[in-house]
Amino acid sequence: MKNTAIKLLIAFSTAIILASCNSGPEPLYDLSDTSYPLRNIDSSRVYFPDDFEGEISVISFIFTHCPDVCPAITANMSNIQRGLKDTTDIQFIEISFDPQRDTPSVLKAYKKRYKLNDQFTFLTGQPETVDSLLKKMEIVAVKTFSDSLVQDSSNYNMRHSNTIYLMDKNGRIRAEYPASVIPPEHVIEDIQSLRNL
Amino acid sequence: MRLPDPITFILLVSCVLFLGCSSESKSEKSTNEVILGKVELANGWARPAAKGQTSSIYLVITNGTASRDTLLGASSPISDVVELHQSIQHDDGTISMEQAGNQVIAAGEKLNLEPGGYHLMLKNINRELTVGDSLSVTLNFARVGSKTITVLTKTQQN
Ligand SMILES: [Cu+2]
Repeated sequence: MKNTAIKLLIAFSTAIILASCNSGPEPLYDLSDTSYPLRNIDSSRVYFPDDFEGEISVISFIFTHCPDVCPAITANMSNIQRGLKDTTDIQFIEISFDPQRDTPSVLKAYKKRYKLNDQFTFLTGQPETVDSLLKKMEIVAVKTFSDSLVQDSSNYNMRHSNTIYLMDKNGRIRAEYPASVIPPEHVIEDIQSLRNL
Repeated sequence: MRLPDPITFILLVSCVLFLGCSSESKSEKSTNEVILGKVELANGWARPAAKGQTSSIYLVITNGTASRDTLLGASSPISDVVELHQSIQHDDGTISMEQAGNQVIAAGEKLNLEPGGYHLMLKNINRELTVGDSLSVTLNFARVGSKTITVLTKTQQN
């Protein structure tokens, strides 16, 4: 009886070790067990990360009322796309952490303004859903008001994380970068090694 | 055509120099001549944005004069509110944006307004800015007064 338990334990541990050897270093976050219902720019329902499994995803977080850093993040995502010789099986996802103002149509206009192609997906959703996803991925986004006395409910800025994540084909976050400043080559290199796993 | 004799020529030149140096001179635009160097605005560009939204302008300000000057504010026909802002990275890696106060630019120094740092923020713009559109912005300095630059709307490439 005890023997069987030990055998099982050994078999189980071996399986875990093999599994982790198979897929490189430990993921930073494993999102594969949860699915978050979000909205695409045409308002259609998208399940994140389920709908994106099977391909490598470059993920960033923005709000479109951001006039300085977020466009720099989007520009960097675009640079990564441009720097890739082969963009098959790669998708670029930008998730809004300001669902209150970033409706699907606002994100649609943003995507158009920055001339991004169909490899780019912009996602928003119910504030509670977005919040729980951000929490899971440890993305910080807090409203800030320039005048602390007048907290106009729609006129605010945000203090936010500056993060790009690389997610593997199985919904696991493998790498993180400072979004607005990371040289695209670094991300491209990691995409190549993820492809070769 | 007969060339003026040397004495007339020297008198003419002196006259021009005198007028140029005199700050009292009402003749034409004298502001450029009274300053030794210039405050120059260069490499300006703006981000695209929808009408009613927020755009930002980036540029390099060079104080080529012999004294320090202070950037006091800015204005543009496209927005009632143009503010100098600065994006700040905090210890936890998050980024926020704050209004930056008046900026002193020492003689011979530059102030770079670039993504992730200083920018002129234009709130609630009164027309859409798409790639290729131009707009003007006027910067007000304590010493040299106002300087205007026309910038193009484009998307960031680097
Ligand atoms: Cu700003």
